[in-house]
Amino acid sequence: MSAHAERRASRSRRRWLLTLGSVLLIAVFLFPIYWMMATAVKAPDQIVVYPPKLVPTHFDFSVWTDRIFKESIFVRYLLNSVIVGVGTAVLSVVLAAPAAYGLAHLRIRGKGALLLLNLSALMFPAIMIATPLFVIFNRLGLANSYLGLILANSTLAVPFSIVLLRPFFLSIPYELTEAARIDGCTRFGAFARIVVPLARPGLFTAGVFAFLLGWGDLVFALTLVQSDEMRPVTAGLWAFFGLNVTNWNGVMALSTLAMLPPLVVVLFAQRHIVAGLTAGGVKE
Amino acid sequence: MLLHNNYDNRYHAVRRRLGRALGNYLFVLPATLFLLACLLYPLILNVMISFQDLTAGTLLSGGPWVGFDNYRAVFDDPGFMPALMHSIVFTGFSVGFQVSIGLSLALFYNRQFPGNRAMRGLFLVAYAVPVVATGAVFRWLLDGQSGVINWALRSAGIIDTPHAWLSEPSTALPALIFVNIWLGIPFSLMVLLAGLQGIPRSLYEAARIDGAGPLAQFRYITLPQLRPALLAVVLLGTIFTFKVFDLVWITTQGGPANATQVLPTFAYKFVFQQLLIGKGAAVLNLMFVMLLAFSLVYLWAARREEANV
Repeated sequence: MSAHAERRASRSRRRWLLTLGSVLLIAVFLFPIYWMMATAVKAPDQIVVYPPKLVPTHFDFSVWTDRIFKESIFVRYLLNSVIVGVGTAVLSVVLAAPAAYGLAHLRIRGKGALLLLNLSALMFPAIMIATPLFVIFNRLGLANSYLGLILANSTLAVPFSIVLLRPFFLSIPYELTEAARIDGCTRFGAFARIVVPLARPGLFTAGVFAFLLGWGDLVFALTLVQSDEMRPVTAGLWAFFGLNVTNWNGVMALSTLAMLPPLVVVLFAQRHIVAGLTAGGVKE
Repeated sequence: MLLHNNYDNRYHAVRRRLGRALGNYLFVLPATLFLLACLLYPLILNVMISFQDLTAGTLLSGGPWVGFDNYRAVFDDPGFMPALMHSIVFTGFSVGFQVSIGLSLALFYNRQFPGNRAMRGLFLVAYAVPVVATGAVFRWLLDGQSGVINWALRSAGIIDTPHAWLSEPSTALPALIFVNIWLGIPFSLMVLLAGLQGIPRSLYEAARIDGAGPLAQFRYITLPQLRPALLAVVLLGTIFTFKVFDLVWITTQGGPANATQVLPTFAYKFVFQQLLIGKGAAVLNLMFVMLLAFSLVYLWAARREEANV
């Protein structure tokens, strides 16, 4: 009896040791993010020092009050990113949802070719699409526009959403659509009223990924946008610091600003992101 | 109830059948049109551009056809072979470390302990950070004067003098690989953990009864069962790493002295800095062929794996 209790106590102690190990692992892994935020709120004279001050002792928000929220361009960058990120998410889900449903359940010729195109689209480097889009958008006058950026980001987000959503729709029995049709729904009505509500978690996951893609993109932002006030925050950050940095305080503050919105989204949508990563097997 | 005459009935039947067939296509039509216009057409245009002498002056009108001149120019360029080698080294080491670290972490988080689920979710935070911000913070961490990494290595007695890791040609590529490993760990961790969780417990119980130790269990149960997930992580990781542009551009721009020049930055410089669009397009198409070959290997392996199950 007492031996049993002892064994149980030792097992519980071992489990808490694992917890401690996990805390250490995460502390090391997330240190860069901590360091970014810590540098963003330090007094300027505490930043370029040796040895580094691991914990800020004097907080100083002057870079936030005097630059980031004072110069309207930084807020404009953020707004541009919101428009591009949300636009990419909406366009991708609207285009991908019916297509993924069609590829999952309906009789369509060339299904295999379409699926292959979507799968292989995930392999194309963004820069490879950016080059011809640069030419096309300049000819069509779409360079330097939100629509251009949203379309460009969707070239990756739409195929990804289709690949992600098809298994979702496959798991929703087609009999539900048929039942709705017998009850007098049109084909599209059955899809919109019966299938879409059931697929909401999947649609949400696809939307979150498309948003993260659009928000994090640098290639299109760098190549398809010329004027400063149209830049998303990623390109704005790059324009701000470029190759030679002396103002780490400002760079880290702007990095923090660029990170916070997607961070909030990721923390709230954790479960959905794990589902998307393991189903679609896609990063970036 | 309405009475229909014969003609009306037939008309409606044909219409209905036609409508049913067309209706199916309407679901995929918008996405297909979009992909044709914004993905397939650009890719074809890219191939056409690579056979033209397209520069800033001829951007709108189209350049003269020059056959394989651009490709010849790329192969003759002294920067091409080094860029290809850097791409291979960058991809190989990144994927190797990402997968082994990801596997170790997945094995760790596959055990039960308090707070496991909440804590492993935190690895996804790396996913939220735009690559530009990641690049910026790692440049700061690797800084030659007051970077934390220099301080940590000196405190631990590993190095005597600080290094400007990203601006010394000998250390720039390894430093860049280090940053890219950090970026790729969450993906490997999550996919491999999902794979581990899919292995039936009963297999391990049976092995224990047969007297298999932890190492034998790993070798004969975990590894074979994890094959599909490992395959996905290695092959997809390779494809995604091979095309990384943004991280390299932000941290080093291919420098110092081209020590971190990879194929994507090599192409970018032609297209968007020197406006030799045809030559850049040729580099991109060569990359595309390599990626395509790799994708085919992946699709083939995935299909074989499915057939085996």
